[in-house]
Amino acid sequence: MSAEPVRMRRVFFREAICRAVRETLDADPNAIVMGQDVGAFGGSYREFSGLFERFGPARVRDTPVAEAAMVGLGIGAAAAGLRPLVSITYMDFVLLALDPLVNYAAKARFKTGGQIRVPLVVKLTAGAKGQGVAHSQSFESWLMSVPGLRVVAPSNVANAYGLMRSALQADGPVVYVDHKRLFPTSGPLDDSAPEVPFGMATVSRPGRHATVIAHSYMVSVALAASGVLAATGIDCEVIDLRSLAPLDLATVCTSVSKTGALLTLEEGQVACGIGAEIACQVQARLGPVRVSRLGAVPAPVSSNSVLEAASLPDAARVAEAVRRLLRTPEIPPPHRG
Amino acid sequence: MLYKLVLPGPIDDLSEVRVLEWHGSTGTRFNPGDLVVELDTHKAVVEMRASSKTVLRRILVAAGEWQQVGEPLAILSDSADEPLPDRAENLAQSSVTYEMV
Amino acid sequence: MTASNDIGALAAMMFARALESALLTRADCGFQLLSSGQEAVAVGLAAALLPHDQLLCSGRSIAPALARGLDPGLVMAELIGRAAGPCLGRGGRGHLSQPSAGFFGAHAVVAGNLSIAAGVALALQARRDGSIAACLFGDGACGAGALHETMNIAALWRLPLLLVCDNNLYSVSTPRAAALAPRQLSDLATPFGIKACTVDGMDVRVVREAAVALTDHVRNGGGPAFLECISRRFASHSTSARETRGKKELAADRELDPIKRLENALLAEGTLSAQTVEALREEVRAKVMAACAFAEASPLPVPEEAFADVG
Repeated sequence: MSAEPVRMRRVFFREAICRAVRETLDADPNAIVMGQDVGAFGGSYREFSGLFERFGPARVRDTPVAEAAMVGLGIGAAAAGLRPLVSITYMDFVLLALDPLVNYAAKARFKTGGQIRVPLVVKLTAGAKGQGVAHSQSFESWLMSVPGLRVVAPSNVANAYGLMRSALQADGPVVYVDHKRLFPTSGPLDDSAPEVPFGMATVSRPGRHATVIAHSYMVSVALAASGVLAATGIDCEVIDLRSLAPLDLATVCTSVSKTGALLTLEEGQVACGIGAEIACQVQARLGPVRVSRLGAVPAPVSSNSVLEAASLPDAARVAEAVRRLLRTPEIPPPHRG
Repeated sequence: MLYKLVLPGPIDDLSEVRVLEWHGSTGTRFNPGDLVVELDTHKAVVEMRASSKTVLRRILVAAGEWQQVGEPLAILSDSADEPLPDRAENLAQSSVTYEMV
Repeated sequence: MTASNDIGALAAMMFARALESALLTRADCGFQLLSSGQEAVAVGLAAALLPHDQLLCSGRSIAPALARGLDPGLVMAELIGRAAGPCLGRGGRGHLSQPSAGFFGAHAVVAGNLSIAAGVALALQARRDGSIAACLFGDGACGAGALHETMNIAALWRLPLLLVCDNNLYSVSTPRAAALAPRQLSDLATPFGIKACTVDGMDVRVVREAAVALTDHVRNGGGPAFLECISRRFASHSTSARETRGKKELAADRELDPIKRLENALLAEGTLSAQTVEALREEVRAKVMAACAFAEASPLPVPEEAFADVG
């Protein structure tokens, strides 16, 4: 065993989340975790592994299947001085908790004139991976438009840790949306890994010809498509949003000003989706620009592997969408006379 | 005869492992059913057990290090005195049993 | 309970009734849910709460807020949307709140405050100082899954939570028996092993006695409790809801007026005389006038407040 401190480790995605939560529970005696199977089971994805043993049943609490009550309890506890993380295994089931989340948590600070704050993190796992129509959804866009809610989405090990650390220090409700297909991945995590602030996107891959905006698992798909396109001389710039509410339009606009072509990519629906919001805001700032949106087909996502694969964006579809985008005529910048 | 110890693939939804703990070192003899190594994965711990009498000759991936499914973790042999090769890739795959726990 | 507690209870009920009456005379009264007829539930419950407890309630929040001891001028200001209100005029009656005064407050969504109250109780449990959360809700909330889910977790985790069902026998226009299957609403708590009882919500002494017994139980680690108080709503559900009950029924309800009832009892017991009752009424009138004057003098919020403190 080396005498020097290890500065960077390769860890599973779940371990990045676990470390952020463990550090928070260590530092803040008011921090607690609640959810189904978070205790001795260690979390549905083992993302809370070891926490129950370390912190005990008062701080790492298994709950019954009652998402509305879980989130409501988390809200009341946060408002009264604790710092809860409520974990809901499937994003689909946050639907059951929308009343307390939207009608109370997002409203509390405003409606009480600032007297009540809700420092709560609700962790959800989105995405399709063979589990069928009610266990596959990605509707981050529905939550992004709720004033008072912040929504963040990690795409890799480092930002899974960094965003969770930031979320657990926020002064209001944060929805943290990870993805089923990220859990099988691994990546580097510094011992002194930074927090990732909200409202800051990052350029995952610099490029000249087209801007591809993505978040969560779709960032990997965008990068894979970029690799395919690079072989034919098309150089994509991939932007990882990381933060959905607030959105970092500045980084997006800087990129689109350079490339003149924007493809938004999401696993959710394009109708009223993240891409719709970004396209509109980019054009409001930059004027008309070539833009295209790619998302899931407008249908429920079956557990059937053939049907699921046909429903979702993959590297081939993303590459084709970029090619099609670049075939549309460039829009000259507005004349400034 | 010499063998390479691998976690045989393909395994659905599993591409890489991290060695958790070796239950022996160079020269350790294993009987059938003995636990040889524990591997951590994104979902479960994998226990690999010897399915025949075998000797651990060289650990290729130490505890804490990563390896792909189907790639060599160690070199095993029937007897302790067979000379070791430079590379493990061309060896026959050792028959092992493994279990997700 | 001492005589002064009874006089205090009478004054508190009179005050809530009088403040609501004053509110109704205002052109800027707005959309209100009145507590009149149900004052005994709020006042009896509040008498059992200690300074470090937290009281939550539904949109029928005026008597609970006043009974809890919030400054009446601040309450009135909030009710008419003035900036001096504890919520800066943004919450109104439906979200009236002052946690620093032990009033976590109102939430206008039926059954929407129940799991919140359980969460507050969870936080109070960690303090280990015997403080509790009490949550007032109506019969209308008893059909909601939120109540079932909350009782289940509260019982499992032995949360210091007192659930108080102010059953005024109607959910807007729907009679209680047409909406809810149980024989009595406290029966909803029994399957969870939660200590529960049903009392006459038109008698403040009865409510107080039951509330004290149950808060003691909760405070001493007995787990949650459920108190059903059967009351009568004197006005329609809200200022915009049509009255559906007939004159005879309304008159019969008025016979049960908790204020009259306690007043008569205290006169009969010699605790009060006709003169002292009148003096009490005069004091109440003066306090109501002062509260209204304070609220009147407070400005409306500026339009920019529409997007302040969003989070």
